[in-house]
Amino acid sequence: MNSKIYSVLIGGKAGEGVKKAAQVIADLAVKQNLYTFQADDYQSLIRGGHNFSLISIASEKVYNSYEKADLIVSFDQRSVLRHLDDMAEGALHFCNEGDSDDPRVIPLPLSALMKEHYKGTAHISLAAVAIFAALCGISLTSLQDIIKAEFKRQVEENLAYASAIYAIIRERYPEPQITFDTNATPPAKIYSGNQMIALGAYAAGLDYYYGYPMTPASSILHYLARMRDSHGVHAIHAESELAAINMAIGSVFAGRRSAVGSSGGGFALMEEAFSLAGMVEAPLLCILSSRPGPATGVATFTGQEDLYFALNQGHGEFARIVASPDCLERAFSLAAELLDLAWECQSPTILLTEKHLSEGLINVDLPLEDVPSLLEDKAEFTKPYLRYAITESGVSPLKFPGADHCDEEDIIKWNSNEHEESGVRTDEAPNIVAMRDKRDRKYETIAKATKKYQRIAKYGQDGPIVFAYGSTAYELREAQKYLPFQIVVPIYLEPFPFEELAEYQNAEIIVVEHASHPNFARFLKEKLNVRVKANILRYDGRHFHTDELIAKLKEAIDA
Amino acid sequence: MRNLISTKENTWCIGCGDFGIFAAVRKTIQALNEAGTPLADIVMTSGIGCHGKIFDYLQISGIYGLHGRAVATASGIKLANPKLKVITFGGDGDSLGEGLEHTMFAAKRNMDITLILHNNGNYGLTTGQASPLSTLGFRGPTTPMGNVEKSFTPVTLMMEAGASFVARCYSAKIDHLSQILHQAINHKGFSFVEVLQPCVSYNNTYKLYNERCQIMEASPKDEDEARRIAKSEDPIYLGIYRQEDIPVYHEQINIEGEPLTLAQRKALLQEHS
Repeated sequence: MNSKIYSVLIGGKAGEGVKKAAQVIADLAVKQNLYTFQADDYQSLIRGGHNFSLISIASEKVYNSYEKADLIVSFDQRSVLRHLDDMAEGALHFCNEGDSDDPRVIPLPLSALMKEHYKGTAHISLAAVAIFAALCGISLTSLQDIIKAEFKRQVEENLAYASAIYAIIRERYPEPQITFDTNATPPAKIYSGNQMIALGAYAAGLDYYYGYPMTPASSILHYLARMRDSHGVHAIHAESELAAINMAIGSVFAGRRSAVGSSGGGFALMEEAFSLAGMVEAPLLCILSSRPGPATGVATFTGQEDLYFALNQGHGEFARIVASPDCLERAFSLAAELLDLAWECQSPTILLTEKHLSEGLINVDLPLEDVPSLLEDKAEFTKPYLRYAITESGVSPLKFPGADHCDEEDIIKWNSNEHEESGVRTDEAPNIVAMRDKRDRKYETIAKATKKYQRIAKYGQDGPIVFAYGSTAYELREAQKYLPFQIVVPIYLEPFPFEELAEYQNAEIIVVEHASHPNFARFLKEKLNVRVKANILRYDGRHFHTDELIAKLKEAIDA
Repeated sequence: MRNLISTKENTWCIGCGDFGIFAAVRKTIQALNEAGTPLADIVMTSGIGCHGKIFDYLQISGIYGLHGRAVATASGIKLANPKLKVITFGGDGDSLGEGLEHTMFAAKRNMDITLILHNNGNYGLTTGQASPLSTLGFRGPTTPMGNVEKSFTPVTLMMEAGASFVARCYSAKIDHLSQILHQAINHKGFSFVEVLQPCVSYNNTYKLYNERCQIMEASPKDEDEARRIAKSEDPIYLGIYRQEDIPVYHEQINIEGEPLTLAQRKALLQEHS
């Protein structure tokens, strides 16, 4: 059924370079003017175990992986055994000689070639790159160029090893086995979801990102750290998530756009200071990339269990914005919007995503035209300056210590205690009510402010209505190529985009989400009084392959 | 110079050591201001506890943050605007209990901020529970049979963590405290000033400190001597235990200048794709 989509699976032990090889294969495909989608299935360990990467390659946009692969390269016995059943009809499955005597598998003398060509550490994974290049009919020179560019160590040995494998495959298959008809000019660069989030926030003025490593959010920290000298952005690995968010609040107090990010556990540690951000009215972007929980959960897999955790983040009552990107382009634009909205409304914002989007890799263009322009500073300040001046919108003009707009009389006090307009603490009942009412007026202000952005996405016009949020929309969009249904995706979750979704009041819908409880369905029932015909749930940490999801959807639709 | 005392009603107990710290801090800020530091360039953070109330009384910008996190908040301010002189007020429960990690790491990084540790040897505001600096046998609501945990020695703890300026003062010796604070705030790097501060309600140490506190005539000749005399309980030595010039965090990570404009960012990202 996936005739237009070529599916590649690379499998082996952690430390064998599975992910890297897959990335280089995807790069090679992009260089052939193709679209790619890559998902990595890996464990929380450094050596051993079993990792595999899936790459979908097509001449049109492709959003998901498929259960059955057309090409499998297995670097060890475990991979061969695990993926024998994942072979599509006519699939080629290569392995190292001696790892399998199954007739469906094609052994190659990888060990012998590594012994011949490497003096030190050998890179078995280059075999996958060489096999793919040879099967596509990509020239040896092009293969060598990409190997030189992507594998900087042991260049000569790599080239000799890869060239030898390339020669074997070309001899065996003189004609290209993987061909596409394409006149498209797809985006030339592959990004991960986390890279898009980082770049979107950066485009909207991010200066400081504070974090503590936790999969699947860590790569935001890594990516921004590498951009320091080239882009003038700072990524700081703090001593803990507690430190990270309190530092970030310090940085926004001093007038610089800042963000924090983590997965569920680290985000839980940030929770008290998330409330602090609500109380002191700190404009702070918080990124929550989920994995299956509770607690340490399943560290390197995907899940959407944190919907209510995000919506209800922090103790006490205060306004916030929660939104979740449904695609990589949106990850970029939404990060930019949420950073800007944080400053416009002086409220914390949460970008909720999940491992499948954070670490998914697709060739996309950066939607640079979607970056909001910086807020004009037209604030009128009271004299004396009052940090928490009571206003109709609930938003009080911001001054920053040491900035040009400050004079010797200005005192800027942010206070975690309930406070008067001056920022000095109060216990007085009328003051408490006045300040609470001021902050509560921001619910309305925030709801208005979000309306200038695209708050929902719809894909398809006809057929049954299927709701999802986050990267689950990608899974549905790929399934939609084979089955008629319409996809509705709330991008903004809080405030809820009632206007845009009014037509779905009381509608019969199917809901797809990655949780064991239908949390998102419950949320939609509360908001829209929908009738949920079926919940399609998955909570084993894996994303749905396209074929699996189609089967589930058919079952739900026919029920 | 504007009045540094706010109109907020002061609710420290009569005789609280915090008054001495408050007086010394005002004196220091006035001296800094007279020497050319604009008041707009001085900011403070505080945690939660009796010490934190100084935030409402002292007319200086800042963040009255969360219990234990004031050092982290201060670090974020410094990184975002290195021009600012950032002073953190912390309690012993606050900065060495709930927030010990931040204190240790600010010292380790040599973050260019000043931490004034109000050491009253207990949790005053929450009615006198034992703190990380309570003495053995200290009786409070959580230790009715007496505290069995040994106290930290803040001076040696901070020396080990890497603080580049370490001093100890006594809240009743206001001139000495003010002079040390001036040096601490002007010191480039992490400055830690432990202030022995009697708590008249739950841990009244005036008599003890008045008898035992002794200002060092000269700084310790080396680190070994510094560590040894820091542990001395009688006399209790006041003064500077360490002052060294080592690289500060924000300079090592190249924080400088104005943020890039959106247009500059866009241009850089266009090259990217």
